[in-house]
Amino acid sequence: MAKAPEDRSKKDPSFTRRSFLKSAGVGAAATTLAGAVEDAVAAPAVLGPDAVALSLKINGQAKTVTVEPRVTLLRALRNHLDLTGAKEVCDRGGCGACTVMLDGDPVCSCLMLAADAVGREITTVEGLGTPEKMSPVQAAFVECDGYQCGFCTPGFVVASTAFLSKNPSASPSVDEIKAGLAGNICRCGTYGRIFEAVQKAAKAAPRTSAVRKG
Amino acid sequence: MPQQPPPPEAPKLPTFKHTMKAGMAGGEQMLEVNITEGDLKPWDLDSKLRVVGKRQPRLEGPQKVTGRAKYTFDMALPGMLWGTMVRASIPAGEILKIDTSKAESMPGVKAVWTTESRTVRFAGQDVAAVAAATPEQAMDAARAIKVEYDERPYVTDIQKAMEADAPNVYEEREIPGPPNVKKKGNIVGPNTNPTTGLRGDVEKALAEAPLTIEATYVLPVHTHSPLETHGVLARWDGDQLLIYASTQGTFTVRDGVADALKIDRKNVQVLVEHMGGGFGSKLAPSASGSAFAVVACKLAKQAGAPVKLMLDRREEHICTGNAPSAVMTMRLGATRDGMLTAIHHKSFGGPGIAGGAATGGPSALMYTNVPNLKIEDHNVFTNAGPQAPLRAPGFPQGAFGLESAVDEMAFKAGIDPMEFRRKNESSPVRKLQYDIGAKAIGWERRNQKPGEGTGNKRRGIGLANGCWNVSTNPRPGAEVKVHRDGSVEVFSGAQDVGTGFRTAMAIVVAEELGLKPTDVAPRIGNSNYPFGPASGGSNVTNSVAPVVRLAANGARQKLFAIAAPLLGAKPEDLDAADGKIFLIKQPGKSVAFKQVAAKMSGEVITATAERKPQYEVYRREIAGTQFAEVEVDIDTGNVRVIKMVSVNDCGIPLNPLTTESQIIGAMIQGASWALFENRILDRNVGTMVNPNLESYKVLSASDMFEAVSLLTPVANGGQNTSTAGIGEPPIVPTLACIANAVFNATGARVRRLPITPDVMLAALADAKRRA
Repeated sequence: MAKAPEDRSKKDPSFTRRSFLKSAGVGAAATTLAGAVEDAVAAPAVLGPDAVALSLKINGQAKTVTVEPRVTLLRALRNHLDLTGAKEVCDRGGCGACTVMLDGDPVCSCLMLAADAVGREITTVEGLGTPEKMSPVQAAFVECDGYQCGFCTPGFVVASTAFLSKNPSASPSVDEIKAGLAGNICRCGTYGRIFEAVQKAAKAAPRTSAVRKG
Repeated sequence: MPQQPPPPEAPKLPTFKHTMKAGMAGGEQMLEVNITEGDLKPWDLDSKLRVVGKRQPRLEGPQKVTGRAKYTFDMALPGMLWGTMVRASIPAGEILKIDTSKAESMPGVKAVWTTESRTVRFAGQDVAAVAAATPEQAMDAARAIKVEYDERPYVTDIQKAMEADAPNVYEEREIPGPPNVKKKGNIVGPNTNPTTGLRGDVEKALAEAPLTIEATYVLPVHTHSPLETHGVLARWDGDQLLIYASTQGTFTVRDGVADALKIDRKNVQVLVEHMGGGFGSKLAPSASGSAFAVVACKLAKQAGAPVKLMLDRREEHICTGNAPSAVMTMRLGATRDGMLTAIHHKSFGGPGIAGGAATGGPSALMYTNVPNLKIEDHNVFTNAGPQAPLRAPGFPQGAFGLESAVDEMAFKAGIDPMEFRRKNESSPVRKLQYDIGAKAIGWERRNQKPGEGTGNKRRGIGLANGCWNVSTNPRPGAEVKVHRDGSVEVFSGAQDVGTGFRTAMAIVVAEELGLKPTDVAPRIGNSNYPFGPASGGSNVTNSVAPVVRLAANGARQKLFAIAAPLLGAKPEDLDAADGKIFLIKQPGKSVAFKQVAAKMSGEVITATAERKPQYEVYRREIAGTQFAEVEVDIDTGNVRVIKMVSVNDCGIPLNPLTTESQIIGAMIQGASWALFENRILDRNVGTMVNPNLESYKVLSASDMFEAVSLLTPVANGGQNTSTAGIGEPPIVPTLACIANAVFNATGARVRRLPITPDVMLAALADAKRRA
C-alpha cells in the first residue's frame, strides 16, 4: 500500500532540528523555542514563491527540474520531465494511481512536493521496464489481462513491484497481496486478475533489481 | 444508450438465404437468415475458427504496463496552455456578474471564457474558464474570478422534489421530457411504453392473485468515476482543429464540437489512442453537465495556442453525469404454485436536471410470459448534475427492484428462488444458464431457511437475472491494408475504452488472413479513419467486427488471386492459416503469406467495406444470470462479498480473455454500487459532500472477492460474426444478486442501497421485530 510520504527528518539524518530552526529563521528566539518545538514536524528550507531548480534522481539518472515549490512530485514528473506513467486521478492519496517508489517504498507522488524528493531515489513505472523488455511484474500483467482501460495500471505495477520486493515469498497469499495493494483503485474492475499477475510474477523471480529490499 | 436511432430507409438490396446453426450449445436451433448479397455467411456453432475464441493478451499491453501508453491526460504540445474551469457554487439562481478582470491580468493567463447562460440549475454548472501557461497559474486565475449570483430556492432530494410546495427546477413551460407525457412541478410521468410496458390488466390480476407482494426499493445516485477524468487537448492550425479527447465517441466529439463551433466536420480531427474509462459518461461531445470541450477549443482560438483542459476529480463527480437514483414500488402477483401473474413496476428516478431516469427495462424484457404487466416510469428533477448513460442505463436499478421483488415472491410462495425463476423463465438461453451458475457457486450450500446460520458471521447465497437489448449500429466502415512486406493494418475510427476492441479487430483480420493477431496492427480512435460508433449500447464490437471481417475478406480475395497461379490453382480452391495460403484439398501445397504479398503489383493492397444490413437474429436480448455468496457480520453490519459467478450470453466471443475481464469488471462495479457508492448532496447548501475517491467509496483491492465469469456462447446471427457486446449486460443483475444473497444469509430483506453497516443493522433490527 502506498503511503503518504514520511516526515523527512526521520529519513534524512542531516536534516536536524537545528537546520529546521535555521531555515525557519527563528534566530535569537531559538533557545526558548527549542523546547516548544522539540517534537514539531520539521519544515523544509524556505523556498519560492518563484520557481527553483531541483536536482532529482529518477530511475537512476540525475535530472534537474525548475518548478515552483508548490509543485508536487507527480506534476514535476508528468509536466516537466515527460514521465507520464504515474497518473493524477484523485490528487489526494485516495487511489494509488500516482504511486512511485522513493528509496524502494511506494508513495503517493501527488501527496509530496517535488522539493521534498531531493536526495531520494525515485523509481517510476518507466524505470521498471520497457515495452521491449518488460519486468516480470509488467509481463505478468499483460499475460493475465491485469487491466482494462489501463489508467490505474502504472500505479498497480509500481505498488505490486514494491510489494514483491518486501515479500520474498514465491507464493504470496491473496490476502497478503490485497493488503499490499489496498491503496490502489481500479475502476474497470480487474483486481482478481491483478492478484493473479502478482502471483505469477512472484513465481517468476528474480525480483527486479531496481528496488531496494526492505 | 439503449436505443440507436433507426437507420435511414435503405433501398432493399438483393439477399440470399442461408441456414445457420444458431443458439447456445445444448439448445441449438437452425435459423434461416436472409443475407444481403456481398456479405459473408455468419460464423455459427459449426464454424471451425482458428484464431477467434483463443485467449489473446491485449496488443497494447506492453505500452500500458510500462507507462508508455499516452492518454489524452498525458498529451502535450509545444506552447500548450492549461485550461481550468470555474463552476457554479450555488444550486439554483441567476448569474448577475462574472468579474474576470483580476484573472485576466494575472501571470501566465492567455485566455478567458465566460458563459452566456445566466440560469444556474445545479452546483457545478459551467460559469467561466481560463487558459494559462502552467496548471498552477490557471488554478490561481480561476480562483480570482468573482461571480455574483441571485440565489433561488432549490431542491436536491428526490422525495422533497415530489412534494407540491417544492421549488421547481424548471418553469412550467420549459419542463423537458417526451411529448404526450404528463409534466407537473418536478415530475414527468407516468411514462408507459404501450408496446413493451403494458400487457393485460395488472390491477385485476393483482386483485385476483392468491399471492401478492408490494415493496419499495431505493438506491442513490452512483457516479461513473472513470479514473481518467473528462478532458481534451485542442490545437488550431488555421481553420484545422485537432482534438485529443478522452471520449467514448471519436466521431461524437468531432461532430458535436464542429456543430457547436459552426465549422465543417472535415476540418476537425479527433484522436483517442488510449482512454481511461468512461462507463457511459463519455458519450457526449463534452459531458452531460459541461461543454468543456467546446470551451477548450474557444480558449485555444483566443490564445492562439493549444489548450489542454482536463477536469479534476471533483468536477468529474459533479458535472460529467451519473446513474440516476431510483425509488421503485414493485407489486407482484402469483399463483400458489409460483407462477407470476402480474408485474407492476412503478418508478421515480432522480437524474438531476436531465431526463432519462427510467428503470422499467428489466420488467419489459424479462419474464415476458407473465400475462399482466404495467411499467410506470417517472422522472423527478432536482437541482443536481444531470445523469448520463451508465452501463445499461436504468437496468441495474430496475433489476434491483424487479429481481428483489421476485426473490421476495419466491420466499412467500415457499419455492427455491432459482426454481421459482426457472418456472417463470421466458428465455431459452437463461434456462440453460441456471444449472451452470448453480454448480459454480455451489447452490446446494445455501441456507434452506434464510438466516438459519448461527454465530455472528452469517453466510448466504443468492441469485438474480439480467438482460439487455442487442443493439447494433448500421453505419461503420473499415479498411484493411496489406503492404508489400507482408505487414497488415486494420483501420477503424472507433475507440477502445478498455474493452479490448483494438485486439478484437486484429483477431478478426487474423482469422480471415490466416495470420496471428500480433501480425496485424490495429489503427483505431481517429476520426480520419472509417466511421465507427460510440461505445454505448454495447454495440462497438458487434457492429464493427462484421465490417472488418468483410474488409479483411476483400484483402484475402486479392491475395488469393495472386497466390492462385503460384500454386497452379483457382482462388476458390485456397484457404489461409498459420501464415500460409494453401490448397484446401492438399494443405501441404502452400505459399507463405509474405511471399504472396511480395508479388503484389503495387505497394499496398487496400480493401474497404461498409456495414451490410443487420438480418434475422436468434434472440433480440442478451441473457445472463448471476450468483453471489456473501458474509454478513450481524454485530457490525459489515457485508462482504465472498464469491460471485456470472453466466453470460456473449455471442461468439472473439477473445474470451478480455470478454471475461469485462464481465468480472461489471460484477465489481455492481458490487461497489450495492455496498459502498453513494453520491451525497448537502441539502442545506446544495453541493456534493463527497466529490473524491476516499469518501465516495469505490470497491478497492481489499474488498475484492472471487469473481468467476462463465461464458455461454450464443450464435445469434444478425451479422457475419455473431458477436455480441458484453460491456453492459453483466452489471444488470449484480445489485439485486447481492441483496438477495444478504437475505439468504440473514433473513433480513434490504430494500435500500448501498448496504452500508447502518443500513444492514437497521434491516436486521427490522427482521427481528417482525419475527
